[in-house]
Amino acid sequence: MRQYLNQVTAIIWKDFAVELKTRELFSTMFVFAVLVILIFVFTVDLSIVNVNEVGPGILWVAFLFSGTIGLNRSFMLEKENGCLQGLMLTPIDRTALYFGKMLSNLAFLLIMEALLLPLFMVFFNVDLFRNLGSLLLVILIGTVGFCALGTLLSSLAGHLKTRDIMLPILLYPLIVPIAIGAVRMTSKVLMGEPLSEMWNWVGLTLSFDIIYIGVSIMTIDHVLEE
Amino acid sequence: MLRALDGVSFDLSPGAFLTIFGANGAGKTTLLNILSGLTRPTSGTAIVAGHDATRGDPHLMKKIGVISHASCLYADLSPLENLVFYARMYGLEDPEDTAVKAIERVGLKARIHDRVRTFSRGMLQRLSIARATLHDPEVLFLDEPFTGLDPRASSQLKEYLRALHTGHRTILMTTHDISCGLEMSDRVAVQVKGRFAFLEHIDNVEKNGFEKMYLEMMG
Repeated sequence: MRQYLNQVTAIIWKDFAVELKTRELFSTMFVFAVLVILIFVFTVDLSIVNVNEVGPGILWVAFLFSGTIGLNRSFMLEKENGCLQGLMLTPIDRTALYFGKMLSNLAFLLIMEALLLPLFMVFFNVDLFRNLGSLLLVILIGTVGFCALGTLLSSLAGHLKTRDIMLPILLYPLIVPIAIGAVRMTSKVLMGEPLSEMWNWVGLTLSFDIIYIGVSIMTIDHVLEE
Repeated sequence: MLRALDGVSFDLSPGAFLTIFGANGAGKTTLLNILSGLTRPTSGTAIVAGHDATRGDPHLMKKIGVISHASCLYADLSPLENLVFYARMYGLEDPEDTAVKAIERVGLKARIHDRVRTFSRGMLQRLSIARATLHDPEVLFLDEPFTGLDPRASSQLKEYLRALHTGHRTILMTTHDISCGLEMSDRVAVQVKGRFAFLEHIDNVEKNGFEKMYLEMMG
């Protein structure tokens, strides 16, 4: 177990070391997310719509689209110079490889989301502090599901020549339940409802998180096989 | 269905050095991929260092090292960061110390903190050797290690490989370089269209005769 955790943390450490040197992944994700938010700020007349209803959808579109860019880039890093082959030649359990990549994707996306929230608050004039704890929990469970499925599918699409287009095609239809749950919960949180009033949505999103992680553990061995 | 390998059967005792020659597409890389557990064959068995290579046994990975066409190194990390990472993946004691020693062995200490992206092909190949031998493997697979190297880098690489062929370490190499292969190994094979067309101990091979026979086999 100690060796397993050591391998998972080594992958996360390596991904952060590469990112600290290149700053490619994070900057691309963040700039893209800001652009998505800005486009909606300028195209939606915020004076005639209920921001608490429209804003969460825009926020999650920014999270998911920029997250997809991150997932694509994250797996390309492993394909460059045959690094994935190098990893497969070490005595690593393939689920450790999956969890290492998933947790580093999750960490990058959560940092990006944390930086995007203040901008969202300013541009859409919403008070995120009113129910901040619940909001952060909602964002966490939505992002976990996205990264759980996205990491599996990016490793699957990584073997294809058309991986840049295949990942969104595979990912977006399957992420719909989590996206709907996350948007609905975010909307309710912004309207001041406590989490206890939305257990059905919390339960649905958490269930999909667990399902996607479970499916990934069961299939990653075959997905990574050449 | 195209058969990449067909009826290949051989055994190597510990400490042997087998070189496999063959044209592009003869199935040499497929053979090494199967022996190193990267590719599962549709049929047949492959026992390497006492482990079944066709079952993806993680214990096998602790006993083998592979140097392939790709360096398997992260271009934006330094040699030290790369090897510390791989040392942690192998679960080695004191990853940093192990990595530093491995880098010193291949003569790259002066570039230990530079990005791998800035390295020449020869330096990359030496660092690949350090990566593949970090855990002191019993069996080493080398897939055309001399490809793309200039004569000086080639000669350096030969020295490193000689140094690695000590004790009971078994080496299996594929190459197009006949003189190098004959010079370094104690058994040679020629692979043609997925089959071993020739497999002999080096004592039974005469260089000029082998070259002629090899060219005839290649057509």
